[in-house]
Amino acid sequence: MTAARDVDVLVIGGGMAGAVAALAARSRGAAVVLVRRAPGATALSSGAISVAPDLGALPGEPLASRRSPVEAAQRLAAAWRDHPYAVAGVERLAEALAFAAAELGQVLAPPLDRRRFLATLYGSAVGAGLCQHATVDGDLLAVRGTLAVAGFRGHAAFDAPLVAAGLARYRPRGGPEVRAIELDLPALAPGAARPHELALALDRPGAAEALGDALRAALPAGAGAALFPPVLGLDPAARVLARIRERAGVPVAETLSDVPSVPGLRLHRAIEARLAEVGVEVVQADVAAAPAPGEPVRLGDRELRAAAWILATGRFVGGGIARRGVLAEPALRLPVQAAEGRDAGVQLALRPAASLTVRDRRRPQPLLSAGLRVDGALRPQDERGRPVHPRLFAAGAVLGGHEQATDGTGLGVAILTGFLAGRAAAGGG
Amino acid sequence: MADAYDVIVLGGGVNGAGVARDCAMRGLRVLLLEKADFGVGASGNSSGMIHGGIRYMLSDRSVTALACRDSGYIQRIAPHLLFRIPFLMPFASRKEGATLVERATWYATEVYVGTYDLFQPLKRGKPSTRLSAEELYVLEPGLRRGLAGVVTLDEWGIDAFRLCTLNALDAAARGADVRTWTEARELLREGGRVRGVRFRDVLTGEEGEARAPVVFNATGAWSPALARRNGARVPMRPGKGVHLTLDRRFSNYGVICAAVDGRQMFLMPHERESIIGTTDDDYYGDPDDLEATNDEIEYLFEGAASLVPGVRDARITRAWCGVRTTLFEYGANEDALSREHQLHDGAADGLAGLLSFVGGKLASYRAQAEEATDRILELLGRPHGTCRTHEVPLPGGDEVPDPALLAKDGLVAAPVAARLVYRHGSRAREVLRLVADDPRLGLVLCRDEGILAAEVVHCARHEKVRRLQDLRRRCRVGLGACAGVDCARIAAQLAGRELGWDADRIRAELADLLDQGWRERRAVLDGAQLAQEELVRGATGLLEVPW
Repeated sequence: MTAARDVDVLVIGGGMAGAVAALAARSRGAAVVLVRRAPGATALSSGAISVAPDLGALPGEPLASRRSPVEAAQRLAAAWRDHPYAVAGVERLAEALAFAAAELGQVLAPPLDRRRFLATLYGSAVGAGLCQHATVDGDLLAVRGTLAVAGFRGHAAFDAPLVAAGLARYRPRGGPEVRAIELDLPALAPGAARPHELALALDRPGAAEALGDALRAALPAGAGAALFPPVLGLDPAARVLARIRERAGVPVAETLSDVPSVPGLRLHRAIEARLAEVGVEVVQADVAAAPAPGEPVRLGDRELRAAAWILATGRFVGGGIARRGVLAEPALRLPVQAAEGRDAGVQLALRPAASLTVRDRRRPQPLLSAGLRVDGALRPQDERGRPVHPRLFAAGAVLGGHEQATDGTGLGVAILTGFLAGRAAAGGG
Repeated sequence: MADAYDVIVLGGGVNGAGVARDCAMRGLRVLLLEKADFGVGASGNSSGMIHGGIRYMLSDRSVTALACRDSGYIQRIAPHLLFRIPFLMPFASRKEGATLVERATWYATEVYVGTYDLFQPLKRGKPSTRLSAEELYVLEPGLRRGLAGVVTLDEWGIDAFRLCTLNALDAAARGADVRTWTEARELLREGGRVRGVRFRDVLTGEEGEARAPVVFNATGAWSPALARRNGARVPMRPGKGVHLTLDRRFSNYGVICAAVDGRQMFLMPHERESIIGTTDDDYYGDPDDLEATNDEIEYLFEGAASLVPGVRDARITRAWCGVRTTLFEYGANEDALSREHQLHDGAADGLAGLLSFVGGKLASYRAQAEEATDRILELLGRPHGTCRTHEVPLPGGDEVPDPALLAKDGLVAAPVAARLVYRHGSRAREVLRLVADDPRLGLVLCRDEGILAAEVVHCARHEKVRRLQDLRRRCRVGLGACAGVDCARIAAQLAGRELGWDADRIRAELADLLDQGWRERRAVLDGAQLAQEELVRGATGLLEVPW
């Protein structure tokens, strides 16, 4: 057997946190290997990255919020002391967001200094600090003229009249006029009702053009933009939105997605493409009970040694944290000891599920926010609060103390902590 | 003022719905009030078995006979809704050091099951057989090693939520006024008699009064509180029963196992899942505030794993519970309490005309309803007339279409047609007509549970759906292993279109549906189910943005 190969940084996990970490280290010239098992929760994300909720905004009136995402993150960090924003600090959040948007520029649009207000499938709007190109022209504060919400005949999963009626409520807060329209999908096979099937069909030559023609014919007078369900192509290179727009003559956007998520899959593709482009080596392997940075680690059929490791394995969907009776971190067997909510308390990992959850589903759930505790430099801590290893870092959902589904940060924590960990692992700033 | 009704039935469980149907069939003017939805209490949260009650054979042979005969009738009136579940009762091996007592137990069990065979023809059950260890492990290789053999026992399963719903729907079809999400706030009384109820629609806030000379109280675990509020008493021993649902079938047959304290319990295949049941403990808490505890979950899971070790790899998808009402008795432990039923007359408390139902079993609901209806007619001073609930089919029960033939038209795949027939019987044809008229309603919302978009529309139109969570009980929306990630939003849109919900109401209904599921899952979050929960919360994270 050959001797272990040496690289600078090993990133474990290929979601948003791992990708941003790898790209951040690579952009500082480090030799980076990224090992991942499978697409994780990032591929299931909605297409927008909230970054931070505006805790002072009026409930039900998202468009009334004018606080910038970074400012909102500062407030959040001040209010929730166990949150990764508070632990890592948000001083470099704007830099991290700009970095991620630039690196993944194939799908992500450059951030504004305000949040964009994007439509959901439920006919509501949410504020996003970062979003995909596919949603930019659906920003409710940017639409000039009537917003046409376009449903597909035969596609029961998207209720255009419902979305339109929901969005029309934001008119007094600066939202556009909204109208629902219905289009035929002549080029698609009947029964192609699943989102990714529609998206694949639209990637094909001619399909987007046909849809653009159908849209132009159905547009109401004074239409300024058209909003579609989140199925406008899987392959960013297929330029589905641009092709529709060229034929229809108006800007085109998608709503945000639920699961399964075409925008999530698109983001995953863009991450893969960018990692390959900048020369981050991606290895598909399972890492369990690995040693420590500086030690050789076995990845599938090869052995590797890296001076710095970044653990970005996600939480339960990603597999970074698992529970079989007790909570554990399977890759390096680090202690799981951080969680959100006053009921978290001691012995987090060992307590039964019923006592790590609270009745009100909307409240912070210690069990769902469980993960690693890290110091200010994002180094996981042992039970006594000391860094496990000086060159071991962690990023993203594997960090405890927050739950992205309910705290309104989306992939913001992944981007910030991935960026900081990547730069720290590469040395320098 | 003339009374608008002859009888007001409180409670939309199997007893309330069954009585409402029987009363309506015998020509009474009926109002049924249910404060939530059909079957939300003990009925829907029972084991879902139309069994003959072999457990009660030693103490209450009459309960067994009644249950078996009525099980046969229920098969006649709702043939689509029942499915056979053969049970295996295992014997431990001699090699494990069988004592004389144990051998005596085997012998007694055979006699016991043999006696039960006498009742089996009443419910189209097959007679018991004794299987050797060799035969046993061919049938059920997953059982723990070292068993000496089993005796078989034939029982039937049912969708208890739909059984309640069908009874209530049939009552409505025969002229009864049926109101769900309508709570009886107070009994109206006049000179020692009950004269009706004051009620409130919990969704609209609308209040009203209805007058009738008889009020039939079938509110189950809620009975004591209702009675107390009105100065009466309904004695009972409420008992909490917990079940676990596993994500898949772990056995081909139901198996009887012993819990850590020696109590009998079971693991059985039920539709696409397995159910482990059940606990039985006195419960004097709030029946509206019921959740399974860690102890109960551990108790059931370990009991099942002691006989079927493979369940340790299972994903527990839900822990659900109900409060059964049993007749009051002091000094008996829960298992020994009678499953007999009783009609408690309120006359002694100065509430003549109030008839409260206590105890009983799901499998005997029809006979219980017949007896109660007889009593109601007596209180009204009318002749009994002829009860026909044992021969007139429930809605959809007149015929069980062949799913393969239904699928031949190409509107739906055969497995979906099978689930549709199971839930709707002959009315599956009506659901498929919706697909023929509008092909987009052929969308399968959940491939696991076989939920069709058209089925959601059909239920919303014809099955007294008022909230999204009602669809959990009509057609299993949000109830499967994925907790609604696939089906919930689209079901809400479809139902919303039928019921006139706006975008805010749809989001509120979805949030409420998630709340229902969370209550049943939060104590069992482990392994893959915990990852699933994270996915559910992520997928619905945009639903209720608090900022």
